[in-house]
Amino acid sequence: MGINVDHRSFVIERELPGSPAHAFRFWSDHRLKRRWSSCHPDWTIIQDLFDFRVDGHESLVWRMPDGTEQGMLAHFLEVHPRQRIVYAYTMRTDGIPISSSLVTVEFEGRNGKTIMTFTEQAVFADANNGDIRESGTSVGFSRLQKAMMDYVEDTTR
Amino acid sequence: MTDSENIDRYFQAMADPYRRGFIERLSKVPASVKELAAPADVQLPAVLKHLQVLEQGGIVISDKIGRVRTYRMRPDAFSAMNNWIEQRQREMNVAFDRLAAVMAEVPEEKDH
Repeated sequence: MGINVDHRSFVIERELPGSPAHAFRFWSDHRLKRRWSSCHPDWTIIQDLFDFRVDGHESLVWRMPDGTEQGMLAHFLEVHPRQRIVYAYTMRTDGIPISSSLVTVEFEGRNGKTIMTFTEQAVFADANNGDIRESGTSVGFSRLQKAMMDYVEDTTR
Repeated sequence: MTDSENIDRYFQAMADPYRRGFIERLSKVPASVKELAAPADVQLPAVLKHLQVLEQGGIVISDKIGRVRTYRMRPDAFSAMNNWIEQRQREMNVAFDRLAAVMAEVPEEKDH
């Protein structure tokens, strides 16, 4: 059986309150980053490491209520204070790689605010085989949804 | 919301090209009615009607600040969907909503 992978990228641009220096703190300070990046109150944190520097690592591992272990492991590749962060990260479910990505976060000051541009280039495991979190969804239906989403993307670009 | 209800509202929303366009745009960034209407060749009331269908269907939510109503994707929209990239994009947008909120809460440091 061959391994099917899906290469995709997306860009999110957001206006944030405060200067790029202020925005950068929320990406570079462990405590401040966790105030917005952790979002599953019912998951137990079993590891939380954050070493923000070039070649530093971030590692977050959770235990979900059903016992499943979710992991996020990141490696910081470039750090340009108040301007840009480039990092690679991978998501693992019970040790199985789900996705691996290259992320670029750019900060630009504009009228006392920050325009943040988040670009993620990802390689995902085949959605039809690999969605552990939604294992109840039938394969046929997933394919239909994927085809429809591809159609939407084709017709709106 | 059952999977079957999710599917119904998904198909209903997707049945219209303008609504598909709005979902595509709101998946990237929240927007006001005016911003959504700008590139579409439909009148403001028609745009509002489409957005109401999406909101009633549980796909988008809106809030009004002053005179501006801003629409955004609901974090649980299309929860039955099995599309990685849409899911990742939604999660990041929800995280960035929190980022904007905590940035506004915490005062700036003066030493930069």
